[in-house]
Amino acid sequence: MLLSVDGINVYYGEGVHALRDVSFTVAEGEIVSIIGANGAGKSTLMWTLIGLLKPRTGNITFCDKAVKPVPHQAVANGMALVPERRRLFPNLTVRENLLLGSYLRRDNAKVTEDQEYVFGLFPILKERLKQYAGTLSGGQQQMLAIARGLMSHPKLLLLDEPSLGLAPVLVQQMFDAIQDIASKGMTILLVEQNALKSLKIADRAYVLEVGKIVQEGKGEDLLHDPSVQQAYLGIGKKCD
Amino acid sequence: MIIQTIITGLSIGSIYALMAVGYSLVFSVLNFSNFAHGAVITLGAYIAWAAMVRVFQMPFIPALLISIIGAGLIAFLVERMAYSTLRHRRAPSLYLMISAMGVAIALQNILYATIGANLYALPPVFATDSLMIGDAVVSKLDLFALGFSILAIAALTLILNYTKIGTAIRAASHDAEMVSVLGVNLDLLVAVLFFLAGGLGGIAGVFMGVKYMVYPSMGWITNKAYIGAVIGGLGSLPGAIVGGIMLGLLEALVSVSTIGGVALSTYRDVFSFGILVVLLIFRPTGLFGRHVEEKL
Repeated sequence: MLLSVDGINVYYGEGVHALRDVSFTVAEGEIVSIIGANGAGKSTLMWTLIGLLKPRTGNITFCDKAVKPVPHQAVANGMALVPERRRLFPNLTVRENLLLGSYLRRDNAKVTEDQEYVFGLFPILKERLKQYAGTLSGGQQQMLAIARGLMSHPKLLLLDEPSLGLAPVLVQQMFDAIQDIASKGMTILLVEQNALKSLKIADRAYVLEVGKIVQEGKGEDLLHDPSVQQAYLGIGKKCD
Repeated sequence: MIIQTIITGLSIGSIYALMAVGYSLVFSVLNFSNFAHGAVITLGAYIAWAAMVRVFQMPFIPALLISIIGAGLIAFLVERMAYSTLRHRRAPSLYLMISAMGVAIALQNILYATIGANLYALPPVFATDSLMIGDAVVSKLDLFALGFSILAIAALTLILNYTKIGTAIRAASHDAEMVSVLGVNLDLLVAVLFFLAGGLGGIAGVFMGVKYMVYPSMGWITNKAYIGAVIGGLGSLPGAIVGGIMLGLLEALVSVSTIGGVALSTYRDVFSFGILVVLLIFRPTGLFGRHVEEKL
């Protein structure tokens, strides 16, 4: 197992119990999706995996090593997070944003290779290299955020709401890009509110509700599960 | 006369700029005003005094380099001892600023208690030399301070723009947490940040020491540099440079002006701090400033 999360509990301060006994696994080469409503704890989970939040109990194992709650070590171990709302550096150019993505790497030849790869994925970025990231459109910013994540050449790519705030046509493009990246062998953990699209591309998926995993299964199976359909896909809703 | 005043103003302004850049560097990433900066600058001057007078009889340039490294290391140590725990605990910026004030007073009093309140002169490196530009008499020290400050700030700009850690520092000024999520060790980044700020402060301290004297409360002058940083907009490096130089120039011009036969030189500080008060009322973000919310 590339990533295994075993019964983690994460709190904000004393009062808020954000993740409750959350357990799941991600195997190499998979797309695993975690769906859930706003406030279910999806982003909290991502921040915990990358080491910014510390679980009070439970274990996270990545590549057979326990994950310490230190972000730069998580990245060194091979995780990369593309956070919700992108969190680009608007005061830096596209080139500099990508450079920071490969901050820990010393293998310059491979970095250039990866750069060519992300330009193949998102050609517009190559044209905008010298532009400040803050001047890009929303869709381009999301491309840059994913490209920046890929520049660390991770073993596991954590994608937090990559479709948030994008126009419908761009949402489809983004999911196509994610599938494209996965088809090159990248393991992806995708957290999304757009349950329909993420279940369609996921090998396996989990449903997170108020900090708890309440369901799991193959993406395809959950897509046809009545309770998931009613809660997240807007199918079979009883209106009265 | 006017050329001489302008050169003097530019020279003191460039020293303000060196100090102001230190304030702005730290502020841009950590969002607090590091009022211990003045004490670091003072210690930089004392290091030069030890190197040139008290302990060794070194020439000026090696002593200057030792002061840069020494002040940089002291700034780094202050961060490690006083601020890093607060940072890790995500304490509000106000706590960091109060801690900085405590450090400033503590360091100053350590100087009083150990070396004493005496004023010491640094060797008059260029002080007695002067140049004639046209019919203006210009001190070589002023020219050297101006030139070296420009050089130091240029070096800083190169580091910030063309090295990986410099790029990370600029990124951290926008979103430090995200920088750490990309694999940057924030403790290391902050260490570099304080070393750079302290090193530039060391240069300023040495020039202040040569121009005036070395004494425990000389760091008070950084209040002026802080005004320069605020004029330019705290957190903005070009702002700190322009603000510092503008303040130096204005002060020099005020010092030689008269209104109705009354010399304004005694009103110089009234003027500088008056600018600060007025500016905070009408343009708290300064000339190049960013957003102001939650910044201290």
